[in-house]
Amino acid sequence: MNKTQKDLNLLPPVFKKIAYGIMFLTILFAILSIVKVLAIDKHIAKTISMSFFLIALLLLAITRSKIEDELTLRIRLKAFAASFIYGVAFVIITPFINLLFDGSFLLDVGVEQLLISMFLFYFMMMFIMKRSR
Amino acid sequence: MKNNIKIQRAIKDLTQEELANKIGVSRQTINSIETNRYIPSTLLALKISEVFETNVNNIFELEESD
Repeated sequence: MNKTQKDLNLLPPVFKKIAYGIMFLTILFAILSIVKVLAIDKHIAKTISMSFFLIALLLLAITRSKIEDELTLRIRLKAFAASFIYGVAFVIITPFINLLFDGSFLLDVGVEQLLISMFLFYFMMMFIMKRSR
Repeated sequence: MKNNIKIQRAIKDLTQEELANKIGVSRQTINSIETNRYIPSTLLALKISEVFETNVNNIFELEESD
């Protein structure tokens, strides 16, 4: 492990498989809850699914790739910054969009949905920046 | 900043992959440096100069816009 990899304290690559495993089980749990195979309250099932999905996304975000060098670190930091800006913009702009379509100036998106969309934005930015490096 | 890493690689008969492995970065990072899309850190520049057995100023050169 080189200095950059040590400085970042990222998780080893095996955690990617663990994250995908958690994601698969969460989706399976959600589907089984929706089709009522599992007798769980809808809101509890939603909370559990969202929480585990977030854990999976977090693990994916902080797991290192095969080679981590100063350029990939820079790309990571840029992607994190971009997703943070996206989150803030989302919170500010959404009430105006709701006002246009619903007539109510409200932010009716849950925290989990916001965080999931920020993570997805982060992965999208990582993908784009890695392709164009 | 411009560089002549491609020429130095040709002199030493190294591919981008081989140079990347020697200094512990990805091949894409070497490619980005060669095409001036990324400016390496001091540490990385010194590692590159060590591989090519030449002074870092012989590899990297400041431009007017810098």
